[in-house]
Amino acid sequence: MTATTMTAEPLSTTPRPFAIRIGTVVRLLFANPSTAIYTPLMILGVILLMNIAIWGIVRASIPPEGDMADVANGGVAFLFIYMLVVAVQSVNQAFPLALGYGSTRRDFVLGFGVFAVILSVGYSLLLVAASVVERATSGWGVGLTFFTTYELLQAEWWEGLALSLLGFLLFFSIGAATASVYVRWKAMGMYVFWGVLVFAGIGGAALVTMLDAWGRVGEFFAWAGLLGGAAWSLIITALCALAAWLILRRATTSG
Amino acid sequence: MTTIVEARGLTKRYRGITAVDSVDFSIARNTITGLLGRNGAGKTTLMHLLTGQEFATSGTVSVAGGNPVENAAVLQHTCFIKESQRYPDDFKPKHVFAAAPGFFPHWNSEFAHELATEFRLPLDRKIKKLSRGQLSSVGIIVGLASRAPITIFDEPYLGLDAIARQNFYDRLLADYAAHPRTIILSTHLIDEVAALLENVLVIDSGRILIDSPVDALRAHAATIAGPAAAVEQAVAGLDVIHRERLGGFVSATVAGITEQVSRAAAAAGLEVGPVSLQQLIIRQTGGAPTDHEEVSR
Repeated sequence: MTATTMTAEPLSTTPRPFAIRIGTVVRLLFANPSTAIYTPLMILGVILLMNIAIWGIVRASIPPEGDMADVANGGVAFLFIYMLVVAVQSVNQAFPLALGYGSTRRDFVLGFGVFAVILSVGYSLLLVAASVVERATSGWGVGLTFFTTYELLQAEWWEGLALSLLGFLLFFSIGAATASVYVRWKAMGMYVFWGVLVFAGIGGAALVTMLDAWGRVGEFFAWAGLLGGAAWSLIITALCALAAWLILRRATTSG
Repeated sequence: MTTIVEARGLTKRYRGITAVDSVDFSIARNTITGLLGRNGAGKTTLMHLLTGQEFATSGTVSVAGGNPVENAAVLQHTCFIKESQRYPDDFKPKHVFAAAPGFFPHWNSEFAHELATEFRLPLDRKIKKLSRGQLSSVGIIVGLASRAPITIFDEPYLGLDAIARQNFYDRLLADYAAHPRTIILSTHLIDEVAALLENVLVIDSGRILIDSPVDALRAHAATIAGPAAAVEQAVAGLDVIHRERLGGFVSATVAGITEQVSRAAAAAGLEVGPVSLQQLIIRQTGGAPTDHEEVSR
């Protein structure tokens, strides 16, 4: 194309650098940090304070030499589910906006991936740091095990970190894949998706039962160990991420 | 004139519906083009095709020298403001304006804030809680402040009152003059934007009916009004696209009018007047005049 007008310079035909394009999507996803950061941290803090208070009351009402059981109370599990919801909302709601503003689908998916990894790493570090503090203060002074699951009491800090990281990445990818089905096929996609998932789940369980293989499933996880077993989730994470990309690359913002 | 948008045989078929039916057109760089047509005519689908939001069934579209689909080189130059744009539920206008500069290299933050004040847009209120007009102004502000070389507005004014709409047109024209760019504006409110437009594309049932500079369109049409017999004599042999009768009087809208004809008609004591763009388009697309209904939308 040749410009015949004197005033207008031809428009650039080179795309802007990859990092800027991805960074733009990440910035969009973080534009309002309240949903992905402030709100969950606040909820976590409130649950923690309530637990400390309750534990303190229990502690005070038993004789000092009495022993408290080391039970993982699972209070942090909400964070993983919450991040799944964040993933669903981010993909579902930010995709049409990013595309309208001139992002490619590919840049959006990669930007979302960076967003998910940043949050996963951040929350994993936070959980590990809190767990270290918890152990150092013998359970916030009241013997509470909130951030430290029973298995991890014996584990190294980096094992806990790896476990959290795998968990967050898994939940983010499941959320992204599910949301991408909705973005592309809307309600009909959801019916089919959940239908197939339920059948696959029941079918899988039935298969294992018929083959009388539950024992072997148990053996597998015992053999793989906690971290080893969790590492296998990377396969699901990778498949979900791939599915999200394949689905979104042909998705449109209309309809 | 440099061509910046070009469509050849561009077609988009959904199950059973041909939304855009083998259209050919081109748009010159740094012009304002009105994309006009009725609801469901294919305007929005066409704009989605131009910005790579939709995949063409067949044909080609070229924007800034390339296919817009998944093309970061092309899309960095575009800004598409849709009437139905969805924003994340937790977003406030300030979040939109914070995220926008990344997408639009020519973004002007001061201008955005100036416009927000002018449109009385509360920056710190959840977008979900904004009125329809305020929601529209979020889009308008992004569209103007983006200063994107190719800015596309798809009916951006829903819910805006007449003053705010006029404000938008004034700002658009002023900023266009200061920062020339290619603007495509789809609208129902033809007469309101008539003064802005340099070219019109009229689309109906997925086909381009009119693709013409506004001046040419206007110059070749006029109404000739007066006593029925005299009018009929004056317009004999001409392309009369519309006739209105009131008692013994007739007002005929004529396409392809020449200087000679209008002078002769004036000499015969007939009234020769301009045709509004809206009337002209309604006549040419064979629709009933529904301007009052459209304005109130």
